[in-house]
Amino acid sequence: MQHDTGPRASRRGLLAAAGGLAAAVGFTARAAVPEAAAPKPRSAAEDFWGVHQAGIVTPAQQHTYFAAFDLTTGKRDDLVALLQTWTAAAARMTAGQPVAPAAPDAYAAASDAPAPGGQASGAPASGGQAADGYAPASDTQSPILDSSETLGQDPARLTVTFGFGAGLFEKAGKDRYGLAALRPEALVDLPRFNGDQLVPARTGGDLSVQACADDPLVAFHAVRQLARLAYGAAEMRWAQIGFMSRPADGGTPRNLMGFKDGTQTPQQIDKVVWVGDDGPAWMRGGSYMVVRRIRMALEHWDRTNVGFQEQTMGREKLSGAPLGLKDEFAPLGLDRTDKDENPIIAENAHVRLANAVTNGGAEVLRRGYSYNDGVNFTAERWPPWRQGMEYDAGLLFVCYQRDPRTGFIRIFENMAKFDMLNQFVTHTGGGLFACPGGARAGEFIGQRLFVAT
Amino acid sequence: MVSRTRCMPIRAAIVAVVSLAAALPAGRAGADEPRGFLETVHKHITLTTTVPDNGDQNPYALVVAPVSAGKIQAGDVLVDNFNDLSNLQGLGTTIVDFNPSSRQTTLFAKLPRQLPPCPGGVGLSTAMTMLKSGWVIVGSTPSNDGTTRTKGNGCLLVLDANGQLVDSWAGADINGPWGNMAVTDNGSTATLFVSMAGFDVPGPQVRDPATGYPVTIAKATVLRIELAIPPGKPPAIKSRTVVADGFGQRADRDVFLIGPTGLALGADNTLYVSDALGNRIVAIADAMTRTGSAGTGREVTQGGLLQRPLALIMLPNGHLLACNARNGQVVELDPATGKQLYAQWIDTNQAQSPPGNGDLFGIALKPDGKGFYYVEDDMNTVMEAR
Repeated sequence: MQHDTGPRASRRGLLAAAGGLAAAVGFTARAAVPEAAAPKPRSAAEDFWGVHQAGIVTPAQQHTYFAAFDLTTGKRDDLVALLQTWTAAAARMTAGQPVAPAAPDAYAAASDAPAPGGQASGAPASGGQAADGYAPASDTQSPILDSSETLGQDPARLTVTFGFGAGLFEKAGKDRYGLAALRPEALVDLPRFNGDQLVPARTGGDLSVQACADDPLVAFHAVRQLARLAYGAAEMRWAQIGFMSRPADGGTPRNLMGFKDGTQTPQQIDKVVWVGDDGPAWMRGGSYMVVRRIRMALEHWDRTNVGFQEQTMGREKLSGAPLGLKDEFAPLGLDRTDKDENPIIAENAHVRLANAVTNGGAEVLRRGYSYNDGVNFTAERWPPWRQGMEYDAGLLFVCYQRDPRTGFIRIFENMAKFDMLNQFVTHTGGGLFACPGGARAGEFIGQRLFVAT
Repeated sequence: MVSRTRCMPIRAAIVAVVSLAAALPAGRAGADEPRGFLETVHKHITLTTTVPDNGDQNPYALVVAPVSAGKIQAGDVLVDNFNDLSNLQGLGTTIVDFNPSSRQTTLFAKLPRQLPPCPGGVGLSTAMTMLKSGWVIVGSTPSNDGTTRTKGNGCLLVLDANGQLVDSWAGADINGPWGNMAVTDNGSTATLFVSMAGFDVPGPQVRDPATGYPVTIAKATVLRIELAIPPGKPPAIKSRTVVADGFGQRADRDVFLIGPTGLALGADNTLYVSDALGNRIVAIADAMTRTGSAGTGREVTQGGLLQRPLALIMLPNGHLLACNARNGQVVELDPATGKQLYAQWIDTNQAQSPPGNGDLFGIALKPDGKGFYYVEDDMNTVMEAR
């Protein structure tokens, strides 16, 4: 498949990037994203190795495939081997290579770094490997090394971001891997929020994989390979596809409610997103990911008038400007009132309750996608309580922060109770995952957690 | 929890003004003396969420505590929930307590879903009061599946001031205790009026072929309950008298049950009843003393600004305030003349059509008489109007 999208003009690309980094905060996006963070061409490869995992502050790609896994193995060595295998595979796929070289021997030899626990496998360096990675067509006896559907594809800026759920440390009272004592304080059990309708089959997981790419096949391909490589050690618990369509002018993308989503983003990424010295060594440079599958009552929403939608959101629908203003990137002006001294942006409007000012300065970096899973039978939770076949569509909300207790939980406790938008959205699944710092070449993701014990 | 000022959405506010103007007689605008209560009310403030930890939803009854007792401070606002976590009606079991001074909301009572002395179990309705002796009495109109198909007869539950269940009252004359209570309380004695809207109500699937709606059963009553309250002991029933009957009651898939809901006592012992299906307010004369039923009483006003009236309160000026079910308005009317003065949109939520449709239910006068509390079922919140 050929991509027809070449490198974009840097300015357009920059605005697109800002849009992708949706955030619940009060600074303009224009200043928030440095030029260096402008997205690469669709066909380019992102770096896998580094201080941070890719896919967090990486300018958002257009597609995501999120998957949560439950660990089925009870052996620590299996877990370590899985993370080594996943790291190696993700590094290769990020570079646009098939998941493994053609021959298993070549795969093993690619690693010259000793792995903990005496494991022989390790992480091959990214790039520079010319092997096509596919078993010869004539060799029908070879194990499948790559499912081949992305044969000939560009890397499409694939990123694969791994996270650890609470179940990695302790599950049903069992310390399966000798890690219980290392569970970070910040990896709390998310509280039950007002209005939550979380379905167990779409909630939690011991491990998370967020694959993002500018091509949906590339994102799915990545998860598909990892799931196969996990056979015997972990199995898929739930998965969710997401997409983000950018307007032609490169401006802020719109969510399914028709509003621009992502005008604001935190200014101080280091402070908001990355775990610092306050966290355990293996989490430094990492971040906590909250994911929520949020169903939108689109039929109900579509029957409300635009003026009401704008009051609910606190923004103008077309321009994205704060209610009553013209510039999308203007400060919200939460203190503005009408002649009767009622606030212009209602007290329970979405943008007000999400704003850092309302939440004691709490901020998160949002990186959400729309989702659309067709239709199914549902009963709306609010008057007029419509029942019938409705879109199972909405937002795959994803946010990153250095500590969920002072990030998402702090912000959403209040929003869950009072946000006018709650009448149109229902949280149906999700989880909290500790995404370790990035791996240097030769390491595997989360390696320092295992070295610590 | 913090209190926050609620902004009336602009377009809805205009609708309210138009509606208000339409209801004002020509030539009276600009008079110095307020003609009624609602024109002195300008602010609508969100006070608290009513959802406790168990996720119960759909706040119904609102009661302002007359005294401090147990966990309750005088002036606290007690709110019960009719729905459970899954938003199934008739399965709510909790009462929360909002303290206006601290702005804190705590769980006052959590009752068991199944309660053998209470036929059908517990689903807390709009019938609730707190007596000066500290006892809380609350109605149960329970269901097992969120519809009247599985409705039980219910009961009245007696709780102490710490939210502990101490007694329950059931019987042939108690079936679906539904609307807000009217109460006179002398300390050692008290009189409760409770509307009963559950007699022989089938599930919402049983339709009247003539209307297409679920069948209307004209068997709803208003029961007067005389209580003796010995010092330190729970209230005991001295007598029960049906003072009104023959009101329409009907199952509804969306709102569970439609029947007489609002009760308010006038100074002359007239009991005012909101007859929701009749879309009217009626008067029951000599309600405190009569020994038999007045039937459906005397019609005070019908239609006009009323849109299926629910809870009623008596205002300091002798007027009545009625919450509408089918829009977000309260209607002020003078029961002496039957004149409807005007209506105000207190819930302007355009997520419903008309705005606020289905959102209002319980209402309670503030202790200072200058405003009122009301629930918003759309957002599961308690609001203050002042």
